[in-house]
Amino acid sequence: MRRNFPIRESRIALSACLLAASLLGVCAAQELTVPASVTAGEETVISTTGSGTATFYLLGPGVSRKNEVSLGQEIHLQARDLQTAGDYLAILCSGTCRSASFYVNAAKPASVTFLVHPSRVPVGQSDAVSGVAFPFDQFHNLVLTQKAINFQLTAGSSSLLSQSVRTRDGVAWFRTASGKAAGTLQVVASLDDLSAKRAVQQVASDPCNLHIQGQRTANGILVETEPVHDCAGNPVPDGTIVTFTATEAGGKDTVDAPIKKGIAKAQMDAAGAVVVSAASGVVMGNEVRIGAH
Amino acid sequence: MRRRTNCIFRFRILVVAATLLGSLSLNSYAVDSSARVQLNIAKAAPRAVESLTERGILRDYSFAWNSMAQALEFNTFDPLEGPFAGEAKNWLRDTVASQQHSGVSQQYVNQNHQLEAVFYAPEGDVMELHDTAEYQLQVSDGGKLIHEEHVVLHFIVLMTPAADRWVIRQLQAVPQF
Repeated sequence: MRRNFPIRESRIALSACLLAASLLGVCAAQELTVPASVTAGEETVISTTGSGTATFYLLGPGVSRKNEVSLGQEIHLQARDLQTAGDYLAILCSGTCRSASFYVNAAKPASVTFLVHPSRVPVGQSDAVSGVAFPFDQFHNLVLTQKAINFQLTAGSSSLLSQSVRTRDGVAWFRTASGKAAGTLQVVASLDDLSAKRAVQQVASDPCNLHIQGQRTANGILVETEPVHDCAGNPVPDGTIVTFTATEAGGKDTVDAPIKKGIAKAQMDAAGAVVVSAASGVVMGNEVRIGAH
Repeated sequence: MRRRTNCIFRFRILVVAATLLGSLSLNSYAVDSSARVQLNIAKAAPRAVESLTERGILRDYSFAWNSMAQALEFNTFDPLEGPFAGEAKNWLRDTVASQQHSGVSQQYVNQNHQLEAVFYAPEGDVMELHDTAEYQLQVSDGGKLIHEEHVVLHFIVLMTPAADRWVIRQLQAVPQF
């Protein structure tokens, strides 16, 4: 940060000094010296020169303190006044005002904020899982000094990713593909002895090799799929819709049926010869031909 | 005679109304223009900033600084509701409460912000920005100006999307980027 020297104040101070000097033959304006930098949550002191009393102001993120001080003595700043990282302005007024500023920097990391997306992901998708980690100190200041954050992704006993990423401007991130098997994916971001854990539910991807069979019944035809799996062999979750289409000479009949216990089935009206097909999402299944009643 | 008096009276009303309207329009202009923000999204990664998002960030960041300036000048909490969340809101509320106690107020005059998006999360749920803010800072105690200076400050900013806007969650001044 740059602060231009307050011209207006210096002029006022100079005028005051000249007036005082002309009257008393001496000019001893108050000065204050602030620390070069401070760590959040630590005490510090501001030294002053001069004599008599003055009004001291401390302005910073979360604080606006005003009190009387004795010039020539140190002003003690308490830890609770310096918990938020940022720019602080100290002003000392005794007739005229003098000011100085200093920075409070974040303390050591005390927690890791970890955002992971998505919470549910199909298996076998590239760049499907991502995470962003921010280290914060105990006062919730963003830690900007570079830190190595380890990202670890495990599904069951197999490791999908283990990567150390250095924070840049207080942030580290990763992006990777989802695993092959449905189940819980554990995602951990760790920094020294700190860690944050998240879970991503990996679910089966689109159905693969959708296969149906059908038979005529007294009321029409009954069609059903074989157990529906994705291409990696994971059972497609119940509730996934399979669309059956029966085509006969008189027209078409379509039924949407949810998968229950791995299988979708539908009862359809058809008296004549019929061709039945099935689809789920963009995946087409086989066709079956069923003769007339 | 009476007609002339009416004319003068009407003219005076007109002048007063014009003055009031003028001052109102000047005030609203001053509020609108108090935080000038320029946003550079060229370095945003890993996700590119969409144009709609860019406009949203510009609008909401400018609004947030106007709100913060209002809160710190008039020592009121209301302007902080909406544009701030999390830690940024906490310390701003603490500052206002502390200023109410000490009688101090701050004015941010002629704000200029050079804002640069440096990180935009893959899923678009958080953005980190660097702001080089330049303004005239005036500090008053009980209405008496005790300090005035031109400042240039660097801020690390974390913004996240809320229901209808982007909010500032972290606003942390740093010596340099």
